[in-house]
Amino acid sequence: MAIAVFFVAAAVALIGGIGVVSFHQPIRSVLSLVLVMLALSVIFLLLSAQFVFAVQIIVYAGAVMVLFLFVITLLGPARELGRGRLRYQGWLSALFVLVMLGLMWTLLQGVQYRQPDKTDMSFFGTVQSIGVGLFTTYLYPFELTSILLLVAAIGAIYLSRKRIDDL
Amino acid sequence: MSTLDIGGSQLDASWFLLLSAVLFSLGAVGVLVRRNPLVILISIELMLNAANLTLVTFSRQLQNMEGQLFALMSMTVAAAEAVVGLAILVDIFRVRDAEDVDDLSELKG
Amino acid sequence: MSNAALALLILLFPAGGAVVLAGRGWRLPRIFTVIVGPGVVWLSFIATMALFLGNANGDFTYWTWIKSGSFSVPFGLLIDNLSLFMCFVITGVGGLIVTYSVGYMEHEDGPSYARFFCYMDIFVFSMLLLVLADNLVFLIVGWAMVGLSSYLLIGFWYQRRSAVLAARKAFVMNVIGDVGMILGTFVLFVNVHSVSYSGVFDSLVRLCPANSNCNGDSGWLELAAFLLLVGAIAKSAQLPLHTWLPDAMEGPTPVSALIHAATMVTAGVYLVGRMHLIYDIATYAHAAVAIIGAVTALFAATIAIVQVDIKRVLAYSTMIQIGYMFLAVGIGAYSAGFFHLLSHAFFKALLFLAAGNVIHAMHDEQDMRKYGGLWRDMRLTSITFLVGSLSLVGVIPLVGFFSKEQILGLAFSKPDDAMVQILWLVGAATALITGFYTGRMWWLSFWGKPSPQRPVEHPHAPRLVMMVPVATLAVLAIVGGFIETRALGLGLSAVSDFLGKVVGPPAWEDTGVAVALGLVTMLLGAALFAGAMRIRPWSSYVPWAQTLLERKYYFDDIYAAAFVRPLDWVAGVAFRDVERPVIDAAVVDTGRLTRWTSVEASRNLQTGYFRNYVLVFVVGVVAIGGGLVIMRALS
Repeated sequence: MAIAVFFVAAAVALIGGIGVVSFHQPIRSVLSLVLVMLALSVIFLLLSAQFVFAVQIIVYAGAVMVLFLFVITLLGPARELGRGRLRYQGWLSALFVLVMLGLMWTLLQGVQYRQPDKTDMSFFGTVQSIGVGLFTTYLYPFELTSILLLVAAIGAIYLSRKRIDDL
Repeated sequence: MSTLDIGGSQLDASWFLLLSAVLFSLGAVGVLVRRNPLVILISIELMLNAANLTLVTFSRQLQNMEGQLFALMSMTVAAAEAVVGLAILVDIFRVRDAEDVDDLSELKG
Repeated sequence: MSNAALALLILLFPAGGAVVLAGRGWRLPRIFTVIVGPGVVWLSFIATMALFLGNANGDFTYWTWIKSGSFSVPFGLLIDNLSLFMCFVITGVGGLIVTYSVGYMEHEDGPSYARFFCYMDIFVFSMLLLVLADNLVFLIVGWAMVGLSSYLLIGFWYQRRSAVLAARKAFVMNVIGDVGMILGTFVLFVNVHSVSYSGVFDSLVRLCPANSNCNGDSGWLELAAFLLLVGAIAKSAQLPLHTWLPDAMEGPTPVSALIHAATMVTAGVYLVGRMHLIYDIATYAHAAVAIIGAVTALFAATIAIVQVDIKRVLAYSTMIQIGYMFLAVGIGAYSAGFFHLLSHAFFKALLFLAAGNVIHAMHDEQDMRKYGGLWRDMRLTSITFLVGSLSLVGVIPLVGFFSKEQILGLAFSKPDDAMVQILWLVGAATALITGFYTGRMWWLSFWGKPSPQRPVEHPHAPRLVMMVPVATLAVLAIVGGFIETRALGLGLSAVSDFLGKVVGPPAWEDTGVAVALGLVTMLLGAALFAGAMRIRPWSSYVPWAQTLLERKYYFDDIYAAAFVRPLDWVAGVAFRDVERPVIDAAVVDTGRLTRWTSVEASRNLQTGYFRNYVLVFVVGVVAIGGGLVIMRALS
């Protein structure tokens, strides 16, 4: 049963991924990405990451993607037309990315999986364990990340301020 | 060691990792091939997601919470980066039509 | 002052003069060059005189130039009677000539004037180094530098194509001689393991006692002697490496006087004399010296008959006289050869400088057919030229008689040697021909009516600074003979005694017959001189003979066809097909490649397109990943 869930979710993620890259209209790309994120959140749930599953949906799909949608609305629906100026970009990219995929697969073959740590699986992935981790061992990165968010917010405000000479 | 006991069935961790690799490559192709800056940013988000999947997979395989915490951080950073990137994009779009990233190949303007 | 310091000063004076003239002198007023140029030569003369009066004798080493394992070449100077003798000739006659050229070169502009004296000082330095060196290596250094000075001075008026070609020809032939010298030194070194004179001679005495055939194994010595002889032949313009000397007359007349009469061309004679121990043992090479000298003399004499350029006549006459010197040292009469060297320096320099007076007055016209009647306008020059000519012919009591007849007499009367008589015959015949062409030269230029083609109506008398050296040399030519009158079988023999300490005492005496024959030869020669204008040379009756002589026996043409043109072709091929495509390409293209990779290639990476940059990222990731995979596979 879990296997079936995994395969369905994986298929949806792949279809969404292809959709992200293929659609000419950006809005459809964004929606495909949302689909991918939802599929991934299901997979996270399969992997006993309940909190991450929730955060993925609420924050990532719910906030960041909405942001993208707002920007698309602001900028207008633009279609990508024509072939573009760089003639070999497509072929070279496909080639190298395929090579990269092949490399990753090769590296995957040689992964030496470690013995899992002895943990209490009942607490694994719960909000409690996340909280404990964030506020004790990983307090420092947690605080830094919040500062990062602050900086990003300030940056966004600054960049989108009204200029005197236009608008 | 790579088999995960999920809901009674045995799944192999390498499937998840393979899915992550494929999604990552798709995102890379998107960044390389698409010319609309918005789509490029979206593809970057896709790559980030793929990385998150790898992290959570290993977290489950090693039964260690560090992976999930790392994934949380990654999501935060991705959010911040999307915000700033989009703000820059909007700023450029005020001055000129930014439909093709190739048009933005000069620093002027 | 110590002898060692004096000896070094002999060399340092002209070297210093050259350096000063090259560095600053050409910018300073002319009086500076006038004082420094000849002055340093005279200073060397004084130093030589000081050493002579102090009976100096010694082998002074100053520092070690090369040291490699057990092989060491010190910079050392050998002061003995022979080297002092040569130094006297070089600095004394050289001093007179350099002083003369203060006036002769007066029409040159400032830098050129200083350049001339700088080159002359370089030459004097090189020649002194050649004769003072105490080992073969520095002998060769001086040898080569003398060749260089000759090149610089022949081509002094480098705007003239003929001068440049002549300088090149002289230099190339000198280099052939240099190669011979170096190979000869190698052969000697391989066998005696030394390059210094003392080392070589001591080893020779040990290896080959009492002139025996080195215990039957003297082949290497003969080879070395022949190779050294090649050097002597090239430097002294003997057959077959003689073709450069007539062309060398392109240089200014003082150059011809100094280098191509008095000193450089005598270096070959000095070499054989210095190496006399070798040549005493290597009998074949020794015989070759004499034969080459005699043959060259006769050969050059026949060509001199048809020359019309006054300097060319003198050039061929130099070849002849050096042939006589070679003949002398070739039969073992070393002192006689050196005495003729001294006397030749006197009268040949005299002849060249007096000719220079004429050329200067006639605005650089050298064709004798355009002279005529200069007796009237340039009395003193005519007289001095006459003195030189008579000395050349060998008329008593001028110095030429004593030296030339001494050689011929010794050749005739050498015991136990029949071949030498033949050489005597050749020498005597040459003396007669010498009488003829010298007379022709004098009568044509100085007597008779002025030629209608004379460039200058009334040639002016030369300046004092040009006349005094000429007069001095004339006086020396007159009285010089009396220091060695052995040709007459009696009287002084100062030169032989002086040099005998180095080259050995004269091995045999002139017989009375030889003396008588000498006087007869002289009278015949003088008669030919007097009647030169009344004789038509036989070659004029036979046109092909005339052409043969005028083309110098086609030597130049043969050399051009056999050596010059093929080498030119090879050089052309090398330049077009090797130098440009291969070497230039390698050098230039290396630079271009570097520039391309650093500029063009790098520039093309900066496309400005974001997507290209991301592609580069991916390529990098692939590279690193690939590297990891390979490393994992290998380990």
